[in-house]
Amino acid sequence: MTIRTARPNRGHHFRPRTHCLKKVDAIVVEMQDPKNGVKGSEQKLNVTTIPHAITGSNIIAWIGNKMKTTTEEAQAFGTMLVAYGYIYPLQNHKKLVMCNDSSLYRFQTPYFWPTQQWVPEDSDYGRCSILFPTCNGLELLCFKQAHYNHLHEWLNHKWDFIVMQATEQYKAGRDRNKADRVVFDCQERAYWIVNRPPVSNIFYQQAIMRSKVKSSVSLGALVKYITSYKNHDPFLAPCLPSNPWQSDHDAYWTLNMRRVEVPTKMRVERWSFSFFELLTDLRGRDDFKIFLKKEFSGENLAFWEAAEELKWGTASSMSSKAETIFKTFLAPGAPRWINIDGRTMGLTVKGLDHPHRYVLEAAQTHVFMLMKKDTFFRYLKSPTYKEMQKKALNPEAHNFSPAQLEENARNRSPGIHPIILWQQEEEEKAKAATAAAPVDVKAVMSKIDRKK
Amino acid sequence: MSRWRRSVDELTARRRRQHTECARAQNALSRVTSCFQQLVASLGSSADSSFLREEIDETRALAHRICSGLSDRLLRLLSACDSAPTAVEDRQASERLWVLFLSAVENFLSDLRKAKDLIGQFPLTQRSNRRSLVNTGCTDGLVGLAARVALVQIPWLVLEEEPSPDLTNHIAGLESLLSELQQRVPVAFWSVEATQPAWAEVLSDPEDPEDSLEDMMEVEMVSNGSSRKVSACCQGTCCGFSCVG
Repeated sequence: MTIRTARPNRGHHFRPRTHCLKKVDAIVVEMQDPKNGVKGSEQKLNVTTIPHAITGSNIIAWIGNKMKTTTEEAQAFGTMLVAYGYIYPLQNHKKLVMCNDSSLYRFQTPYFWPTQQWVPEDSDYGRCSILFPTCNGLELLCFKQAHYNHLHEWLNHKWDFIVMQATEQYKAGRDRNKADRVVFDCQERAYWIVNRPPVSNIFYQQAIMRSKVKSSVSLGALVKYITSYKNHDPFLAPCLPSNPWQSDHDAYWTLNMRRVEVPTKMRVERWSFSFFELLTDLRGRDDFKIFLKKEFSGENLAFWEAAEELKWGTASSMSSKAETIFKTFLAPGAPRWINIDGRTMGLTVKGLDHPHRYVLEAAQTHVFMLMKKDTFFRYLKSPTYKEMQKKALNPEAHNFSPAQLEENARNRSPGIHPIILWQQEEEEKAKAATAAAPVDVKAVMSKIDRKK
Repeated sequence: MSRWRRSVDELTARRRRQHTECARAQNALSRVTSCFQQLVASLGSSADSSFLREEIDETRALAHRICSGLSDRLLRLLSACDSAPTAVEDRQASERLWVLFLSAVENFLSDLRKAKDLIGQFPLTQRSNRRSLVNTGCTDGLVGLAARVALVQIPWLVLEEEPSPDLTNHIAGLESLLSELQQRVPVAFWSVEATQPAWAEVLSDPEDPEDSLEDMMEVEMVSNGSSRKVSACCQGTCCGFSCVG
């Protein structure tokens, strides 16, 4: 039984495209043709002789001939065949390239072809590390000792099965003749070299090193989540005033638009669930901004928003954005200086020398946590929020008769055109930009002085 | 001894017998699926032949018989554990067998799917199809494997005989069996503990010294008048006797 996670599989740094690979399959099959295919020879070993060894130069010549391309192109194609595991080298088996000389290669059995889409599972890694111990199966898979022990722990419930399978495979191999045994071992080893976990890939290492949470804790968290959200789920609880998909009346959508004056009660309640909810609902974010303005601590949120813009913005504007952010938030004595710890500040400033999309990630997370742990709770207790809760609308549930439902269906409108919405957004942004210009304390003080 | 005590002992003894029977069947299943995997690995290669395909079918049928028998018996064993009072070790041993069985079935199922794909990709209906088989260097060493499968014995082979399904139905049947079994028996499979050590020394066999791949791939290299034994895999890049795979 396999414990599967629902996480995206970031450990795989390539995604085999079945459609393209099927074409490669066809080409490799053509290479087998006894008349027009690649000419094979034999590999002489001390213990036996194995047929069907082909030289690199023969392969490249055949590819160049068949596809009518240059030798360089053919060599590149050949290297691709080796990298994807259709052909494996017999000498220098760790280096997956095709050399245009007399070095020997052999075809891989179709069982191990990438079109089989056999994503190696944890138990397969376990089996491989047992089967190739003398070859340092660990090195084959680029595991370190600590990873192997962790794999043993992680797969503890299946370990007996893995050992049994490995033993059986080993014993079955002994029943075959020598040449076939060598070939089969070579094939499996070649497969593992092609499909080993990426070296020092941080996501894979994290996956192996992931700490385990007690099921009581995780189940408790799940129950808490369900209890808070179950009244907000449109499948489990009725939407107020009515679910537009069922009643064809779009009051629910108009009441919950982005820039509505007075939000609904359910929406306001959702803001209190978590800081993340508050920030992602843009109407909530506006409310939070009003609160922060009263407290004169808007720089954290402004920095967070600026970092988001950097992450999601265009590549050409990145360096200019990074500069403005540095001048506004991070430079010593900046007008909206954010208060983050020295280490993060140092790392961020250093990273800004060569800005990329995620250069502010650490600082942004730090600021998010600051807001979440401190400002968010103050907001929930503040008069701003409590007023909003009182003002919030609680629409009456609609009660449509079938005749009215039919009329609703007839009167369906296409809604507001997206261009109009976008124009409204731009106007609002322009207004906000002028209104939210950094409160330059010095200018204010000098104005007061001048007035005196 | 009271009659109740005697009946409890009888029950325990019977359960232990059933458990040993299931354990032997599990070993047999492991052997059969492992052989099946090696057979399927030769599909589409130069060792492919109608003999191979027949062997695959027979192995599959044998695995099917073992699977259905073993699943019934394990179900009975585990539900008996629930109803009657059992020792903790007995229950743990049964759960361990259960997890091993399900892992083996999952593994077998993935090999079955691959076999179906490969048979579809490399049909052997006409002589001309043989031209497209991949020259992998394997000739015909599968007789040993076939003999190995034939030696497998399961306790209930004689008693029950039902027709074995064809490949597609077999896959569908196994999938439904897996989901059904996982729903019917609530076994926390992460609580099963391994009995084998982490560094499995099971493969070290003093009788057969020439085992490792590097030894077999040695090639005599004559250079500058003196002959040196060099591994064929890493020519000239290593010191010659410890080929790091």
